[in-house]
Amino acid sequence: MVLLLMAACLGLLALVVTALAYWAAARSEEPAVDQPQPEVFKVASPVGFFADTAAPAGAMRIQVPVEALLLQIENHVRLEQAAAESFLEYPTSALLHTRTISPIVN
Amino acid sequence: MNYREPDLLKGLNDEQMEQALALGSRISLPGGAELFGLGSEADRLFLIDRGRVKLTLPIQLRGHDQDILVEERSSGQTVGWSALIPPYRFTLKATTLIETDLIALSRESLRALFAASPEVGYTVSLNLAAVIGQRLQLFQTMWLREMQRVVERHCV
Repeated sequence: MVLLLMAACLGLLALVVTALAYWAAARSEEPAVDQPQPEVFKVASPVGFFADTAAPAGAMRIQVPVEALLLQIENHVRLEQAAAESFLEYPTSALLHTRTISPIVN
Repeated sequence: MNYREPDLLKGLNDEQMEQALALGSRISLPGGAELFGLGSEADRLFLIDRGRVKLTLPIQLRGHDQDILVEERSSGQTVGWSALIPPYRFTLKATTLIETDLIALSRESLRALFAASPEVGYTVSLNLAAVIGQRLQLFQTMWLREMQRVVERHCV
């Protein structure tokens, strides 16, 4: 009889401990009401992102003065001629396709 | 001639060269002067004695024609070979970059010289072919380099 009562008490104690442990675990998962919520950012799709910000073609282009543009073109022609002359002196495929530092093509 | 031997007259002996140069008229131009215009009638070619000549072609830039450098020629070089090649129209515009002295040789006088002295005609024709061939090879190479860039930009 005593053994039966002891077993019943131990079972009841185990049940109480399990219930307390469950209650504590469940409580820690609930978000605190006064805790600051993390901000949720809307991640736009790449298409949407560019569609929102992209200006019409040419509108964002910096207007380089014509004189500066002409100088750039002239410089480009000189560099290209020098590259072509190097190729004509020693015609190889590598020399034919050497890159120049011209900003027009880089 | 003051400076380099003209590339067009290479291979001529002294007498032949004097004979050819005697046909020319000397021209002195300040910097920035137009020697000939694009599409104008080519009735004489020019040997550059001293100075520099810029050869240009127009491109459209923001709705306006702008002259773009094609080549630069200097002392000893020839400009205006269209005077000897049909349809005798200049295919570029030539402008002096600095004060420049030139010798102008008319087509008619050169033809008369070639008829009278075929040996001179042959040598000058070979030199002319070299000048034209050099231009052709240079621009063929530049065109191919540009094509390569177009292909890389649009087709790869």
